[in-house]
Amino acid sequence: MSIRNTIYEKDLYDDEELFQQDCIEIAKERLNRGEIDRRTFVKALSFLSLAPVTAIMAPGSAKAASELVVVNWGGPAVDAYMNAFGKPFEEATGVKVVIDGTGPLGSKIRAMVEAGNVVWDVCDTGAGTTLVLQDAGVIEPIDYSIVDKSKVFGDFAFSHGVVNYMFSFVLAYNQKRLEKVPASWADFWDTSAFPGMRTMRKQPNGMMEACMQAAGKSLDEVYPIDIDLCVEKFKEIRDDVIIWGSGSQSQQLFREGEVVMGNIWHTRANLLRRDMKGDVAWTWKGGCVAPGMWNVPVGNPAGKDAAMQFIASSQDPDQQIELFKVMGNGPANPAAAAKVPEDLRAFDPGQPENFALQVPFNGFWYREQHSSGKTNDQYSREVWLQAQAG
Amino acid sequence: MIGRSLNHGSYWVLIAPAVVLMVVFYVFPLLQVLWISVTEPTFGFGNYEELFTNSFLHRIWRTTAFICGITTALTVVLGYVVAYAMAHVREQQMTAMMFCILLTFWLSVLIRAFAWVMLLRTEGMINNALMFIGAIDDPLRLSRNQFGVIVGMVHFMLPLAILPIYANLRGISQSYVAAARGLGGSGFQAFRMIYLPLSKPGIIAATILVFVFSLGFFITPAILGGGRVVMVSEYIRVAFEETLLWGKATMLSSTLLFGVFLLLAIVSRFVNLRRVFGAT
Amino acid sequence: MTEARLTFGRCMVLGLAWTILGFLVLPMVVIFPVSLTDQYYLSLPQESLSLEHYVKFFTNEIWLSATGQSFIIATCSTIAAVILGTLCAIGCWRISSRASEAVRAFMLLPIIVPTVVQALALYRFWIDLRIVDTYFGVILAHTLICIPYVVITVSASLANFDLRVEQAARNLGASVSQTIRMVVVPQIMPGILSGAIFAFTISFDEIVTVLFITSRHIYTLPKRIWNGIQDHLDPTIAAVATLLIVVTLLLLLAELWLRKRRDAARANR
Repeated sequence: MSIRNTIYEKDLYDDEELFQQDCIEIAKERLNRGEIDRRTFVKALSFLSLAPVTAIMAPGSAKAASELVVVNWGGPAVDAYMNAFGKPFEEATGVKVVIDGTGPLGSKIRAMVEAGNVVWDVCDTGAGTTLVLQDAGVIEPIDYSIVDKSKVFGDFAFSHGVVNYMFSFVLAYNQKRLEKVPASWADFWDTSAFPGMRTMRKQPNGMMEACMQAAGKSLDEVYPIDIDLCVEKFKEIRDDVIIWGSGSQSQQLFREGEVVMGNIWHTRANLLRRDMKGDVAWTWKGGCVAPGMWNVPVGNPAGKDAAMQFIASSQDPDQQIELFKVMGNGPANPAAAAKVPEDLRAFDPGQPENFALQVPFNGFWYREQHSSGKTNDQYSREVWLQAQAG
Repeated sequence: MIGRSLNHGSYWVLIAPAVVLMVVFYVFPLLQVLWISVTEPTFGFGNYEELFTNSFLHRIWRTTAFICGITTALTVVLGYVVAYAMAHVREQQMTAMMFCILLTFWLSVLIRAFAWVMLLRTEGMINNALMFIGAIDDPLRLSRNQFGVIVGMVHFMLPLAILPIYANLRGISQSYVAAARGLGGSGFQAFRMIYLPLSKPGIIAATILVFVFSLGFFITPAILGGGRVVMVSEYIRVAFEETLLWGKATMLSSTLLFGVFLLLAIVSRFVNLRRVFGAT
Repeated sequence: MTEARLTFGRCMVLGLAWTILGFLVLPMVVIFPVSLTDQYYLSLPQESLSLEHYVKFFTNEIWLSATGQSFIIATCSTIAAVILGTLCAIGCWRISSRASEAVRAFMLLPIIVPTVVQALALYRFWIDLRIVDTYFGVILAHTLICIPYVVITVSASLANFDLRVEQAARNLGASVSQTIRMVVVPQIMPGILSGAIFAFTISFDEIVTVLFITSRHIYTLPKRIWNGIQDHLDPTIAAVATLLIVVTLLLLLAELWLRKRRDAARANR
């Protein structure tokens, strides 16, 4: 009888999780706790479907697609995306939008493209995944004659992916368990003045940026990152670090009192602040603001142009603000910043005063060749894992 | 024995559907994917070279062998004790014991791992209980390290060890032991000289099953190891999912598969594997 | 004196065995209170006990349909795996040559292959066959995964079955299919049944392959549990686990009761 569960355990499944997925989870939590009820949530979003859709049409270029499949990370985001992005697009173009909540894993996209049977049109991934997929040659370059580069924050218009919203890696801390409040990554590394366990992420992006600052670099000097230096810095405090894989895990570590501080997503930090009645606080200072990404797989069924038009339509600031209200992730269009309600501005990574305190994720650096022959992205993932294993 | 070959022909027909299904829908896709290990990034055995040159890989294999070895040893010893007790108690108590084992099957590995986190963490139930009775002053670090991983893995594997050992022990006649005792041996001597050797097949079966299964463990180390314990299966996942280095991932998978086959081949020289895989 | 020591040793072994079994049951003991938590994440109840998560399971379309889908898939895969696996085991047992032994070892392959590799291999092939995200695709995959367990359990019970009985039946003129249906299968029914239980529970619980080969149409229970954990460690999963434990317990007790009644009836006769 005993063998049954082994299959389950052999189940080597991904416990890494992309930020996108996490936002959805947060929205779900808020629904669950009654902070927002489903009706308001849907109503707010469907209101948007009446909002004008901008920058969609590139006349004559679209081939007549009947359906466009957008894949995200499931849960309430299926409805949220449908209302925020899907319905306006349907009304403007007559193309039916389907939201698939399966989760656009890189491995799935690659297998699909290689088999020549692509079923997804637009995928909601992250900056790291975009670079990996670009190297594998399985996603289309973004057509910036359709997608508007000026509606994008910072350098978040990559050649093969464009930002759909923003999130930050921030320093969060439990002030009840610490005598002083940590003010910088240097304090994060100071285990004698701030005793207790810390948590950092399994993947290097967002973490190395903190390591560089802990090594005394200013925000401007973070890039180009010295990967080996970061590994050294990490090893200094390794014995005091617990690794988080998913957003819910990082949150659980704080709730359980396992850690006193951590480098975690701002959305989760914000939830912790509310859940733990102010015990947990966080700062934008020294954070790393990173983009969520839209990708289009090579050979997508609705055609490349239709996918690009969908992306362009999702650049509308009002749609993005509604998504921010529900999911907590920051609007990617700089024009949205001024439209964000006053009381929510403290939680928007894109507000100028918040943005200035952080270092923007530099996709170009991650794409560059490392001396090992790999890209910085590949090399850093490899050594980061090694550093964790000790 | 009459018409043996004729009979066999019709019996091969019984085997055929399952074999054909397995070859077409399992082995073929598997080979298709493992083939990648020699074609990506370039054709040849470049990926396999890394097995010898990459010291990080050596470390991962060592960690894997270490964790799986300890888990297997602990599981088999603990499993033997339970199986021995089960084989020597009355029906009613045996049923109660079997209940405990069967019930744990319904806890998915994810839920079990989280339950262990709740028990083992710094402010978890075990630490709290120990501090309450005054056994310790400061909480112990029981999870998010190798200890936690091993506890979780042993817990998962125990039924896997208990059942084959129990099946084997039940088949050992008590009269052997009684005879040994009658000839003047002490209880323990009788156990060591007669009973233990007779239960060897069960022990070997349990050891192989537990070891092979623990090689593929991933979720428990990920949750209870706090990121500190990186085993081969985790590395395969990273290469598959995150970095899309499929050449490397499939190379490690083939190596793992080949290692298991090699292990089974070596063991089969000493024991009858038919018995190990169910035909006891 | 030997007797006394033996008794002492016996107590030691029994005590140790029950301690180990306690260790085995411990997580289950934790899961039950967790399922009654008043929080929205996996934790012990903090202010009061709540049945909310059970209510959520029974009233939420999502959880119920996932349970239904898992049930359909597990049932179909079990039937297919039991038929194929049993025939294969009988064939191997009857032929009992080097070749058939090799075949049987070969059928165990899905147990050995690391799951992530298996999932990707099937996913790539399923795309080519255009059966991704269909019931058929999942049932086929689960059948393949379940066959080894049926082969193992059926082989185990065949090992105790005298080959000569089968030969006698054949010599008396029964065809192969008659022999199997009327002589062999009734004899090895316990093995087939435990194989079926194995297959069912494996399919019911399988997640990694499902995560790969399904998309938006197929949503099994483990896939929901997976999402629940990724979301916010949803305590509904503790409620589901508790319910599954209770169902198992009831089934086990029912079986025990039936067996007792059967034994009693036999004794009366």
